Amino acid sequence: MEYIHDTDYAYITEKFRDLTNRSHTSNRFVRNDALFAESTGLTSDEILEGIRKQDSTLTHLSHPVRKAKAFAYVLEHTRINCDSRDRFPAIHMIDRPLNKTVIAAWNNEVFTKIIPEVNPVRSAMEKNAIATMWTDYDHSVPYWDRILPLGFAGILRESEEARETRETITPDMSAFYDGIKITYEAILHFLGRLEKQAEAQNNPRLAAALRNLQTDAPGTFYEALLTDYLYFMLSEHIEGLQARSLSNFDRVFYPFYRKDLAAGITEEEIREDLAYFFLQFMSIGNYWGQPVYLGGCTEDEGTVVNELSYLFLDVYDRMGIYNPKLQIKVAASTPKPFLQKALDMIRRGNSSIVFVSDATMRTALMRAGASAEEARMCDVKGCYEYNIRGAVDIGMNYVNLLKPLEFALHQGHDGVSGAFMGLDCCPAEGYTDFDAFLTEYKRQLSHIIDTVIETVNIFEDYLDTINPQSLLSAAFPNCIRTGRDALGGGAANNVSGMMFGFMADAADSLANIRKYVFERKMLSLTELRDMLDADFAGNEKWRRIFLADPDKYGNNKDLPDGIAADIADFICGQVNGRPNAKRRGGTWAPGFHVARMSYNWANQTASSANGRKRGEELSKNLSASMGMNREGATAAILSITKIDATKFASDACLDLGLLPSAVQGDDGLEAMYGLLATFLRRNGHAMHINVFSADTLRQAQKEPEKYKDLQIRVCGWNVLFNQICKVEQDAFIRQAESLV
Amino acid sequence: MKARISDLKRFAVHDGDGIRTTVFFKGCSLRCVWCHNPEGISFTPQIAYYENKCIGCGECVMHCRHGGHICTDTAHLYRRESCIGCGACVSACLGDALTFYGKEVTVDELLPLLLEDREFYETTNGGVTLSGGECLMQAQFCGELLHRLKEEGIHTAVDTCGFVPRTALDTVIPWTDVFLYDLKAYDEDVHIRCTGQSNRLILDNLRYLDSLGTQTEIRIPYVPGYNDDQIDRIAGFVKSLHNVRRVKVLPYHNYAGSKYAALGMTNTLPENLPSDEEIRLAQEKF
Repeated sequence: MEYIHDTDYAYITEKFRDLTNRSHTSNRFVRNDALFAESTGLTSDEILEGIRKQDSTLTHLSHPVRKAKAFAYVLEHTRINCDSRDRFPAIHMIDRPLNKTVIAAWNNEVFTKIIPEVNPVRSAMEKNAIATMWTDYDHSVPYWDRILPLGFAGILRESEEARETRETITPDMSAFYDGIKITYEAILHFLGRLEKQAEAQNNPRLAAALRNLQTDAPGTFYEALLTDYLYFMLSEHIEGLQARSLSNFDRVFYPFYRKDLAAGITEEEIREDLAYFFLQFMSIGNYWGQPVYLGGCTEDEGTVVNELSYLFLDVYDRMGIYNPKLQIKVAASTPKPFLQKALDMIRRGNSSIVFVSDATMRTALMRAGASAEEARMCDVKGCYEYNIRGAVDIGMNYVNLLKPLEFALHQGHDGVSGAFMGLDCCPAEGYTDFDAFLTEYKRQLSHIIDTVIETVNIFEDYLDTINPQSLLSAAFPNCIRTGRDALGGGAANNVSGMMFGFMADAADSLANIRKYVFERKMLSLTELRDMLDADFAGNEKWRRIFLADPDKYGNNKDLPDGIAADIADFICGQVNGRPNAKRRGGTWAPGFHVARMSYNWANQTASSANGRKRGEELSKNLSASMGMNREGATAAILSITKIDATKFASDACLDLGLLPSAVQGDDGLEAMYGLLATFLRRNGHAMHINVFSADTLRQAQKEPEKYKDLQIRVCGWNVLFNQICKVEQDAFIRQAESLV
Repeated sequence: MKARISDLKRFAVHDGDGIRTTVFFKGCSLRCVWCHNPEGISFTPQIAYYENKCIGCGECVMHCRHGGHICTDTAHLYRRESCIGCGACVSACLGDALTFYGKEVTVDELLPLLLEDREFYETTNGGVTLSGGECLMQAQFCGELLHRLKEEGIHTAVDTCGFVPRTALDTVIPWTDVFLYDLKAYDEDVHIRCTGQSNRLILDNLRYLDSLGTQTEIRIPYVPGYNDDQIDRIAGFVKSLHNVRRVKVLPYHNYAGSKYAALGMTNTLPENLPSDEEIRLAQEKF
């Protein structure tokens, strides 16, 4: 691999996982035990036992303090390796030890003793594929604008200063600042341990950097990378909170880059450090990818894109990796050559890049109450989500937009299990016209939304009881100022997100119901219901008619697009601004991404009136139903942008498939740019692109050994085609077959 | 006035500048052996039957009044000789196995479809391309359509083989921003062998366009064994012109094989494909 020495590559790629164990491709917590010397610390079991033992003596203390002490225990005792083949240290205890001990205990206590009413509701909703209401700690972005200029030592210093300047301090506040102090002191001590280990393993450059970071802020590009990496490891793998971005890289790292160049460090050295940094995340191999973003606007509306942005893309391109995954915040000032470079990478098969609209995000955030400056500086995170800096989003609440249809057809009963999960309503023969049916659909949807909000609001009051966040909160200015945990309302914006999935399936089904049941009267709603209940058995002709009907969302057709926009508007009206948990003091926001639910919920979602049979994959994000984008890329863009993405400060992503022949040559690149530019001009939010042909995918399925590097953009992240299951592979092949 | 078209393709990216919508007209004045749009050769409406997609639903049998389709438990026979090309079976087909080439459209029907992607044209300096077949065999319609497109401020391109009467060109010149002009051979005998027609009219028409200052983009399909020895001579001819803004050598491909079968036509596609290197060397001549 370019920039990486061969022996180093072998070491680093095995650092985070035992590569001989292929059963763990999506498990980021499978470390390679053999790399860690026994002399450097305790075993995993000993550490877990040690945490439990220590905590049993601390029950009189607050949760932030107990958790911080558990955190410190891990850093004191985990095995480490600072091998000279690597520029970043290896930490053994990366399988979220606190989640298995203190967090698990507090979670159990809260859900069984304090709010026992929550779990029965959420398990019933999830079992029937109506909605998930997962306890989510994983969608926040560290405050890199403070972490990198201040370093760990500086963050601790400022937290202590904030405590000392307070006029009054409550016991909760004391616990909050104590948790931070213990956590950050443990980190500084841990840096010392790592430094000694680096010296012992003849890794002087790493040792020197670690020595500096114990007292000072990062002084070089390499030290900044090291800080970023260490923070990520400590947060995601020990503290129990994902770091959902490695930063607005070209903005935050640019001063370090310039300083290095001025000090005589060569660009080639910087490239190498960056490559080793990237390789850490490629090797960790989170299935859903580790995000980092580029671009955005400066204060005077110029572009953030600079030499480092190009260098970043170039190194990434030459390495041929897909993790970390990239988001590019595109504004009017973003240079066209930069976007063309990214588009060129995508058409050559490196599709781990998503474009997000600076203007759309800013408008949406300002509509939701953010200031212009907060909106300009918003962080992109996860797949393509966003929020202002220093915010906490809790968002693993997926809602199935086909379930209200099942309820409306079955008097409130689930179409698969038969359980009564919706609202009682008239029987199928009782609807007089389409408007009456659509009204009932919305009433049932509203009921699901209310249930989710009521249920989630109960347990979100306890997030910081279960999993207090000293590491994250210490860098959030608002937390330090108020003395409150980021999960307990201390963040600058406390959002609860609800993600609505399968919009295209719902819109297409409703369009067919309107057309064939109420307008043409070719079948009754009762007949349709029975047909769907039987998975179209004996009615293949009707399934084909539904599939063949041209009015499909994603093709710039007024009927289904209008229904989709109407449902989206209805959702905005029902969700936007609703208060979330009292302790968090924030609001709810809707979004439209589905992650893997398209597959996870396929079996528990009844056959639908768009011709989809139960078990077949559901539509992704705000894209057309699988294989139904018959009118091509331009029509797909026209359809999705009829849904006003500035009405909700969350994601509205288009998954675009393009044929390799369409993007060849200068014309092809210009066309890709044109699609993106028009999408952004029409206030689209996020767009990612797969360039593939059905023939290639079929070949890759047949002869995986010949297509080892073939990557596929899934729902916001990339994977190797050969690593997804056959069901998903077949779905991509069908999508590719339908490309025009 | 109506035109007969075979297809309309949005997001066309290789038919002129930017993102375009291309209208494929039915009927062609040449018979190129490598034709990749065989559905555009005949002016007569045609139905393509893709056997592999047939699900045996029998809807075509029920909707055809002329005995064009016979379905048994095991087979579906499309009897082309009985077909009058009405297309009733195509709209009834539930398996997407039948495609109709030869829809008749008015300018008023076409225009809104062509304007749907206006914003994409604007962001890429794209527009609408009329192609085929040979679109200028329906020149009056093309003139009217192009006129209306220009009134809407849309960039227009006409993709022509040039084997059309001078009057056909004159009809569209005022409303055409650029001609995508195909040159298949310079030597007349080669041209006749490849297309069935002399190229004298084609070269004359191109000189005529050039003399008017009309912008042209020359497009040369590169077909090994047929016209690969013509590149130098074509290059010499092009050098004598003054308003050629670009020359594109287009690699021959044989993707259209299944279309010939589906249309019941004899597949005339050559076997040999050009290499990237051949195309590069040919392109360098311009």
